[in-house]
Amino acid sequence: MRLLGVACTVGGWLLAVAGLLISSSVLVRGLFAVIGIAVCLYGSLGALNGYYLERAIWKK
Amino acid sequence: MRLRKQRLRIFLAALAISGVVSLLNVCQLPGLRASSAEAATLTTDDLKNVSGPKTTDIAVKGDPGAELTGTVNDVTVADSKQGLTLADLANQAGQNKIAINFVWTLVTGFLVMFMQAGFALVETGLIRAKNANHTMMMNFMVYGLGLFAYWVCGFAIQMGGCAPIANLGGVYPLNGEFALTLFGKPWALFGTKGFFLSGATYDVGIMVLFLFQMVFMDTTTTIVTGSCAERWKYSAFCVSTIGLGALIYPLFGNWAWGGGWLSQLGANFGLGHGYCDFAGSGVVHAVGGITALAVAMQLGPRIGKYNRDGSPNAIPGHDLVFVLTGCFILAFGWFGFNPGSTLGASGNGCLRIGSIATNTMLAGCTGSFAALLYMWIRYGKPDASMAGNGLLAGLVAITAPSGFVATLGAAIIGFVAGILVCLGVEFFDRVARIDDPVGAMSVHGINGLWGVLSVGLFADGRSNYGGSWNGVSGAVTGLFYGDAGQLVAQLIGIATLLGAIFTLSYVWNWLVDVFVGQRVSAKVELAGLDIPEMGALCYPDFQLKTSDYSASSSATLQAVVK
Repeated sequence: MRLLGVACTVGGWLLAVAGLLISSSVLVRGLFAVIGIAVCLYGSLGALNGYYLERAIWKK
Repeated sequence: MRLRKQRLRIFLAALAISGVVSLLNVCQLPGLRASSAEAATLTTDDLKNVSGPKTTDIAVKGDPGAELTGTVNDVTVADSKQGLTLADLANQAGQNKIAINFVWTLVTGFLVMFMQAGFALVETGLIRAKNANHTMMMNFMVYGLGLFAYWVCGFAIQMGGCAPIANLGGVYPLNGEFALTLFGKPWALFGTKGFFLSGATYDVGIMVLFLFQMVFMDTTTTIVTGSCAERWKYSAFCVSTIGLGALIYPLFGNWAWGGGWLSQLGANFGLGHGYCDFAGSGVVHAVGGITALAVAMQLGPRIGKYNRDGSPNAIPGHDLVFVLTGCFILAFGWFGFNPGSTLGASGNGCLRIGSIATNTMLAGCTGSFAALLYMWIRYGKPDASMAGNGLLAGLVAITAPSGFVATLGAAIIGFVAGILVCLGVEFFDRVARIDDPVGAMSVHGINGLWGVLSVGLFADGRSNYGGSWNGVSGAVTGLFYGDAGQLVAQLIGIATLLGAIFTLSYVWNWLVDVFVGQRVSAKVELAGLDIPEMGALCYPDFQLKTSDYSASSSATLQAVVK
């Protein structure tokens, strides 16, 4: 879960940067950037935070 | 009646025309004369006839009217035998410009340095009295730890390839940037000149730049201490801060401000003027907020913050006077943060400092107002700490666009920031369940990102800093004024902050956790960190509460202590 979170976070960033190379259209690059941001947020606040919430002290 | 009105109009029109004509006579005609060939033929010989007041007169009478001080006598002459030359005058003018810019940048840097006191007060006021010494000492030591790390390598990584900066005389020794060529494009990654400020970087302009950039970096490191307060091991804090100041902050700083790949998105990929961040909503605040998120997530919430069902408990701070005084100090320091980022007050559009300062003031006010309004409507009372956080949120958000937007844009950006900070605090508290005692992730993280985005929306294309920005000619223009490419450049900057910088911070702090251990023991946390971690209470004469957790979480507490 932790690895998935980190992978998603890095992957989202790479996706946003890849948009620069895939197309010269501003719209397509913008779309890639927005999807990249969404993947980053899932990785950090979804997967990675989920890992820590599962082990939270208040659940013990 | 109608005739009278017509006469009055004719009279007023005549008055206006005569006014304009006399104004032209006074102002424009001498100007035209000055631009004639007569002025262009000024030679060194003409300067021989220029004489200043006699020093003997000044010695006797003094200069109470300020008419005899600052004259031709004060112009430095290169060769006293030759006397005053045109070259002397030109050199003096150039030195005056750089002197103005040095003084401006240094004084605004001093203001930013004083913001450390504001952060210390805000954070200490928002935590419990039993941890006040620990929190104050974290805020105190980020200054020294960060400075050391930045001097050793941080500055070189960030600004080692940033030359030239015309406002500071060029800073030409900072000319080393490591770049990879991938897919036919250069990707500048980090600077290579300026380690220990040694060698050719022992340069007056570079020293000014170092001081200014250093206090910015220190702002970033102090953001993290707020989110991690009341449970962060002091030794872990020290190691974590050094990593942030030495590598993580400088890396993004290089990409945005040091000539790195993000700043070149315009020149290399045709996206507006590349990633634009005038004073650091992204570089300073979002990096701090995102690092705070990475560390706070690993630390986990304070004991007593959440009940077994996941519902949060409010843990009020111990001194609202500290909090609001700190907010005022921060707002004052922000007048160094944003206007100072021109790195000068003379030349290259630097007079826009007036507009930048006004934008800063406006956004802070609308942010504070919006947060106050939100809390009043939603909870029935005007919450003091959230009003303070709203002020800071507005200031954080306007930091990136302050140099590129008009006052209306600044007011809107600040207002949205004030709402966002309230929503952010609720989100982290109730949905993500990441404990942030001071709301730093919302103030600096969320609103840092909003500030970066708002450049791509509100930049009005009217700013002109020497005719270009990030190597692209023309003014920075956002989506609402016709350039969608600028918005995309800002979005890629946001993705980099959320993806690359978060991951770097997370991995670095995970290593700190493995080798040092990030969190204090439950016993220490319950007792308060002042005695176990720092060896002294902040308020030794006061009766302190050391077990102020709700009854509903007592079972959790007992389990943790065991």
